[in-house]
Amino acid sequence: MTPSSDAENPGANEEIQAGRYYGRGVPYLPINEYPGKLIAIEGTDGVGRTTQIQLLREWLEVKGYGVIETGWTRSLLMQPTIELAKSSNTLNKLTFVLLYATDFADRLEKEIIPALKAGFVVLSDRYIFTALARAGVRGIDRQWLRSLYGFAIAPHLVFYLKVDVETLIGRVLEARGMDFWESGMDLKLGDDIYDSFRAYQNRLLREYASMADEFHFRTLDARRPVDRIQDELRRQVAGFLEP
Amino acid sequence: MTFSLLHATDFADRLLYKIIPPLKAGMIVLADRYAYTAFARDVTRGVDREWVRDLYSFAVQPDLALYFRVPIDVSLDRLMARRVKLKFYEAGMDLGWSTNPLESFRLFQGKVLGEYDRLVSEFGLEVVDARGSITDQQRHVRQLVGRFLAGSQTETVHDAIV
Repeated sequence: MTPSSDAENPGANEEIQAGRYYGRGVPYLPINEYPGKLIAIEGTDGVGRTTQIQLLREWLEVKGYGVIETGWTRSLLMQPTIELAKSSNTLNKLTFVLLYATDFADRLEKEIIPALKAGFVVLSDRYIFTALARAGVRGIDRQWLRSLYGFAIAPHLVFYLKVDVETLIGRVLEARGMDFWESGMDLKLGDDIYDSFRAYQNRLLREYASMADEFHFRTLDARRPVDRIQDELRRQVAGFLEP
Repeated sequence: MTFSLLHATDFADRLLYKIIPPLKAGMIVLADRYAYTAFARDVTRGVDREWVRDLYSFAVQPDLALYFRVPIDVSLDRLMARRVKLKFYEAGMDLGWSTNPLESFRLFQGKVLGEYDRLVSEFGLEVVDARGSITDQQRHVRQLVGRFLAGSQTETVHDAIV
């Protein structure tokens, strides 16, 4: 209820430091000098993130790294609540944003920070950028969102699997069909799920594109074969972990 | 952090369904606790002071905010008179400051009161001395509310006549 200062918000300046909090952080959890590494894999639905993470994990483990995975809305505390809220019609966009943030906070404290402390490589299937993109498309104030996620840790590497809408549509239809939320039907962009999906995903892609510089994305062309993308990922991860 | 965000989520839901619609309809909304509770409680639990204020910047600024101030001993006496055990979170037992609930309550609520005192000047809360009798307090509250309503708009009265 006070006017926000944007001085310490993520993206407000160029001083994002990998492995540190973006903004004001969690005062009771100092995280400086933890040995673990945080790697985020971002991208819209159906872009092949999960497959890539599985392959990357196997490779890292064979090389002797301890690896844990964390994924959006996977916190034990919040997942049932989020599913329940999604299945009813009472979910407002603001409540939606805060539910996601709560889920993330839970995973940050219980999974991500302990793993970084213990020297693990944390592979994050989606990260705060998913939340920023989805909320941005729904008209939530960008500065407020960045301040909200000021307690998030800036990953050491952010890979963005980029795809165009045409490719995405083909993949999603082949795999499982379009669902209500992935199509942004709550935005009432169109009655037809196909039209809505196309319009919504286009807007999401624009949001991601606008964050690429701000958050130092490493963009990968996700239209290529799985193996080619994986090779590129491994090359860049190896370059970072074992320079 | 999670504790703070869970409460904010609940608050957002109530704001959008229970607070904003009646305000739009010109009604008076009485809120038993508001964002100030979160400011005092979450900061005491170690959340950043500015961050939590920014988090709640989506909240409607109340037209009038009353703070019932009471010393810890009085609130403890009142709580203990009515029930045998203090609640886990109300005593701040999650913080591990003391294994004795009474001692923990004293430490935790002491800090919470300190945060409230900061809020009084920051947000212009009207302080009501809650040590007095219910009648005295209610008299004071009615005076404050009456004075505020008399000085504010009369639009709702017109609505009522129509």
